[in-house]
Amino acid sequence: MTMITDYRKATRRNEMILGGAVALVVVLAVVAVTLLITMRDDPELPPDDAEDARELTADTCAAGVRQPAWVPDSVMRAAVACPEDISRRVGDSTSPDRLGTWIVYDLHGAPNEETVPGAAPGSWPDAEVESGAIRPATTITYVAYPGSEQLGPELGGETIEVAWMDFPEGGGDARVTRVENNGYGPVRVEWTDDAGSYLLLTVLGRTPEGRSGVEVEELLRMAGSLAG
Amino acid sequence: MVSTRTWLQVGGGVVVAALVTAAFLQGRVAEDTWTANDPVGECGTGALGGEIGHDSGGEVLAIQNVLSATHSLGPADSTWDADTDKAVRAFQAWTGLPVDGCVNTNTWVTMRALVVPVCAPEYNCQGPDQLLHWGPARDSRDAWFLDANCDWASWVLPGVAQSPVASRTPYEFSREPLSELRCEG
Repeated sequence: MTMITDYRKATRRNEMILGGAVALVVVLAVVAVTLLITMRDDPELPPDDAEDARELTADTCAAGVRQPAWVPDSVMRAAVACPEDISRRVGDSTSPDRLGTWIVYDLHGAPNEETVPGAAPGSWPDAEVESGAIRPATTITYVAYPGSEQLGPELGGETIEVAWMDFPEGGGDARVTRVENNGYGPVRVEWTDDAGSYLLLTVLGRTPEGRSGVEVEELLRMAGSLAG
Repeated sequence: MVSTRTWLQVGGGVVVAALVTAAFLQGRVAEDTWTANDPVGECGTGALGGEIGHDSGGEVLAIQNVLSATHSLGPADSTWDADTDKAVRAFQAWTGLPVDGCVNTNTWVTMRALVVPVCAPEYNCQGPDQLLHWGPARDSRDAWFLDANCDWASWVLPGVAQSPVASRTPYEFSREPLSELRCEG
């Protein structure tokens, strides 16, 4: 039996292959361009599912207080102390309406965990003490003083560095006070706006493996994200 | 007509008054930033062989108060001991300071930077108005201070204070003996 090839079918097959190849090239080009654009834009844009950090204090007395809407990824939870709590702790000697509201953010990760033993310090091993292995939890403390537009006095000392720095995403600046202990030490960020004055405090701590805490840039971004 | 001598006397008086005022203000700033505090602890010996660091009194109590919040040190009795020494060293290591057990100016300043006013800056709170609040958020520890017109004072919580230190009492940042803060005027 003789096989006869219909040339019209062969031509159609070639056209389909060519069309498919062109479509594939176009799809690949679109995907590549999209990926390039996304990769270039990612550092600038927050992820779509980024939550408002104010949700960490929802259902607390700080819910209506101006506070950071953005916090570093390492923040895992927050605890709140309101003026009434603070006043009670010191025996109600101060009127709550002049006191600040405190939000303390806990940070993820082994370097930020509390490692202070329950035993008396005299029994702590020297090697652990000297390496920075025994340290308190690293936190970020935020205090809002409503109705106040002043900053507290500037700290001074040989190891103190004070600088006014802009918020990374614009909208203002803050006084940054660093105690410069060989790259470690406390950091205070203080600023004001029309509604009040504010403070962020943390410690860039030394650990046996390196450092605990967050970058100064992240504190400034927190400061610049104030809302409420 | 005013004589040259009178002008000189007036000018001299103004200069002296300015110098006294500047010295006072500088002293007050030094107190605020804790840079005026004395060395405490293992600070070696001086030229005459005496110990440089103090080992009891209000400044030791202030350090113990700080360390009660950061490193769970207790009790606070205003006397330097092995527990205080070890906790100071752990504090120094954590904050990047040389680990030597001597609370000199740099360690004082580092401790000061952790203390935060509880009251808005333009208000004058009654009682303790400065708080060192540290530790995990849900199990944090407090150390209270009072920034009075004349000096700072420690204000130690019950459960941390131990005789001769009484809780909820303002103790000045003195060398020795331990004394309550009393500002004149």
